[in-house]
Amino acid sequence: MKVYDVVPGLEFDAERDLAQSPAWFLDATHSVPPWTPMFGWFWINFCRHGMQYGAEKLSLPTVHGWDWRFMNGGGYLTLLLVKSEEEKQRREVEFRKAILPLIKDYDGIWNGFVKEILGRYEKLKELDVDTASNIELLDNFEETINTCRRMWEIHMYMMYGTYTAYILFENMCRELVGIDDTSPSFHRIVSGFDNKVFQVDRRLWEFSKIASDMGLDDVFLKNEEVDIREKLEESDSGHNFLKQFREFLNEDGWRMQRMSEINLPTWVEDPTPALSMVKQFIQKGGSFNLDEERKKISVERAETEKEILAKVPSEQRAWFEPLMRLAQKSGIFSEEHDHYLDLYTHAMMRRSALGLGRRFVKAGAIDDHEDIFFLIPDEVRRAGINPGQFDLRYIVDRRRAEWLEWQKTPNPPAILAEGFDLDQAMGVLVKSNDPIALKVVVGSMPQVRPELKADLYGTCGSPGVAEGTARVIVTEDELHLIKAGDILVAASTSPSWTPVFSMISGVVVDRGASLSHAAIVGREYGIPVVMNVFEGTTKIQSGQRIRVDANLGAVYILDK
Amino acid sequence: MAKKWIYWFDELGADFNDLVGKKCANLGEMTKLGMRVPPGFAISVDGYEQFMEESGAGKEIQSYFHKNSAMMSQVGKQVEASREIRRIIESKSLPNEMAQELRHNYQTLCHQQGTPDLAVAVRSSGAVSMPGQMETYLNVRGKTELERKVTQVWASAFTARAIAFRLEKKMDIAKAPIGVAVLKMVNAKCAGVVLTVLPTTGDLSKVVVEGNWGLGESVVSGEITPDQFIVDKACGTCETTISQKTKMVCYGTLGTRVTRVPDELKCAPCLNPDELSEIVRIATDVETYFNVPQDMEWVIDRDQSFPANLYWVQARPAKYSKVKQNDSQYLADLMSRIFRM
Repeated sequence: MKVYDVVPGLEFDAERDLAQSPAWFLDATHSVPPWTPMFGWFWINFCRHGMQYGAEKLSLPTVHGWDWRFMNGGGYLTLLLVKSEEEKQRREVEFRKAILPLIKDYDGIWNGFVKEILGRYEKLKELDVDTASNIELLDNFEETINTCRRMWEIHMYMMYGTYTAYILFENMCRELVGIDDTSPSFHRIVSGFDNKVFQVDRRLWEFSKIASDMGLDDVFLKNEEVDIREKLEESDSGHNFLKQFREFLNEDGWRMQRMSEINLPTWVEDPTPALSMVKQFIQKGGSFNLDEERKKISVERAETEKEILAKVPSEQRAWFEPLMRLAQKSGIFSEEHDHYLDLYTHAMMRRSALGLGRRFVKAGAIDDHEDIFFLIPDEVRRAGINPGQFDLRYIVDRRRAEWLEWQKTPNPPAILAEGFDLDQAMGVLVKSNDPIALKVVVGSMPQVRPELKADLYGTCGSPGVAEGTARVIVTEDELHLIKAGDILVAASTSPSWTPVFSMISGVVVDRGASLSHAAIVGREYGIPVVMNVFEGTTKIQSGQRIRVDANLGAVYILDK
Repeated sequence: MAKKWIYWFDELGADFNDLVGKKCANLGEMTKLGMRVPPGFAISVDGYEQFMEESGAGKEIQSYFHKNSAMMSQVGKQVEASREIRRIIESKSLPNEMAQELRHNYQTLCHQQGTPDLAVAVRSSGAVSMPGQMETYLNVRGKTELERKVTQVWASAFTARAIAFRLEKKMDIAKAPIGVAVLKMVNAKCAGVVLTVLPTTGDLSKVVVEGNWGLGESVVSGEITPDQFIVDKACGTCETTISQKTKMVCYGTLGTRVTRVPDELKCAPCLNPDELSEIVRIATDVETYFNVPQDMEWVIDRDQSFPANLYWVQARPAKYSKVKQNDSQYLADLMSRIFRM
């Protein structure tokens, strides 16, 4: 007997869910390609929880956060709107109090959260998942679930608060200075800051120097990426190098190859992605280009700040300047939170789940330890203490078959109730004034300017002009195809893509807003980024020469 | 022939501050800008000095201070000096020639307005800011009463506080350059202030209008809670707070008195939308002209019809907190607004 056709509130139920909201949007940034059932369970439950927690803690006047559903591996979201004017006004009064701590002590709050969450990770890592008892292991898994839940609370409280400040800054720039977040001088103001993700990149560059000093260049250059580790182990110096490298990974390598999935190894398990970045740095030679770039960008930023402040009436500067400082933290936060929150928590989820997976295999509940990703935590709990008593293969087999099916056809970008079209749905999104919807999901719509005779029109994510060979990348595992000087063309990018930004000369993304990953990282590396071209990955082919003029939001295909 | 000492407002402007005092110069400047100002004239500091000289009051005051200079720093003595000097000034009548000239101007004003014994306001107009010498007499009717009130305004330059102030600033105690404004009383339906900036936050995107029934004194003195209208300069949206207005200031037979607001008016807005938008329009125009936020006083005349019923009695640069008391709270307020778009 089946109680429900789907798990309510987890899987999409057309009848009930379209009655709740007429429009559900696919989160293409995080759930393409389709998620495994376990990762989907974590995301749907806790991203939903975190967004409502953040919206409620800050008493956002117009939204209660988002609701999420899982459909064929895709994450679908809808907004939970505040319905009455009266409630909006009440929430607005509360919001003014709730946002104050972030205005007064942004760094203190963020650093406090980082410390808290790192403490949780350390505790989770204390358990040796191979020698622990089943009870301890299940307990570790439950704590991982709680950590994920807490991670999303921090994530969304910070993100809502940070982006609200950013949007206000953008509005004030428009009002007082006449520039918005598609303007190059706006971008100069919010770039040129160090963050944890860049620090990790810098460490990888340092390892490229160490490798050269140890005479290991050839091992990197003459071998395929997947073979580098094995070949390094063959020599004493290579062995020494790997020892140092593992120490670094144990600290900063708790990240996923794909940001929002747990079925690929972490750097700690498989250092190949990190080693291939070291290889790229050796190939490129020279200094860490981000250092020079950062210096240049920082100088430009300081100059632009002065110009902008001069245009702000003097009596308004007292609040404009602190607002500018807050907005500048948006870029730092956008990158750093991925490192400390998403990537690290997902690495912990994978670690704990695989620990159980190996137990389950030993006890005969499943065939392969990675099959655990086809279960959801309720099923893991059932078999956690006595896996030998349960055969979960029938679930795994069915789910794996479904999952493989999901990979074949892309999920629809939106699920809409009858009589409701995408324009109306986007209108609701914009009207919600939800800061995350505005700055990460929707972005500004490009202006088509026929006089430019461009092949694609987008918005400026990072200023500049570049010409080069297009490289269309669909998934993370194709990143190694990128060569120095290429122009990256993708649906969107995520933090696991950051390292390639040091090699490429420009970026074209189908979707993006000024606080999406490609824009932020592009600005830090000083390369042009054109966003929201919609059809970049379909119109451009790898190997074509293209020219991007981000200042104009134009992309030209030079050899058609 | 004595120096000219009476000026119609349209003869004046901002440059006449030293001659007729701030208030009169300002009324002149507003007249020049084409704003509707209650008709009237200004008595310059030369008028004051001429009176002091010709009436002999000046000499008496000099000798009083000469005799008592040693004890002047005592507060009790200052109060006594104030009483004595004001008695000296108020006991003198206006010298004949001056009285004739003042009457002539008053009659011209009455004639212009078509009202014999026109009710006027007699206001002090100091050339320098000085506390405690802001004596103002409202609803003054007839030439004899006018002469008396003008000398009383001059005498108000010698309140105890004014004496203490001059002493403290090491200014000549015996001298007080003071002008006087004589202007038609507007039969106020309602009156109040308008600021082209939110004074508490320094928010320049808003205009705040406050008003009450009757004369503006109740709003300026801050004794009642007025109606408040906060209007956005860019989009014109208005946040209205209608207060329960229990008291208002009205004319008495002579001078003014505080009366109760009739029940049917207590909770009614004192301005209609047309009047409000006209006030906001002119205030922002004046702000644009001077390029600095304005603090202005307005009166709506009961007897005239819109828009001729709107009078201005004051326009000066607004005082507002430029360095925000609390920038964080201000930022929080601004942030909350982005959810309203």
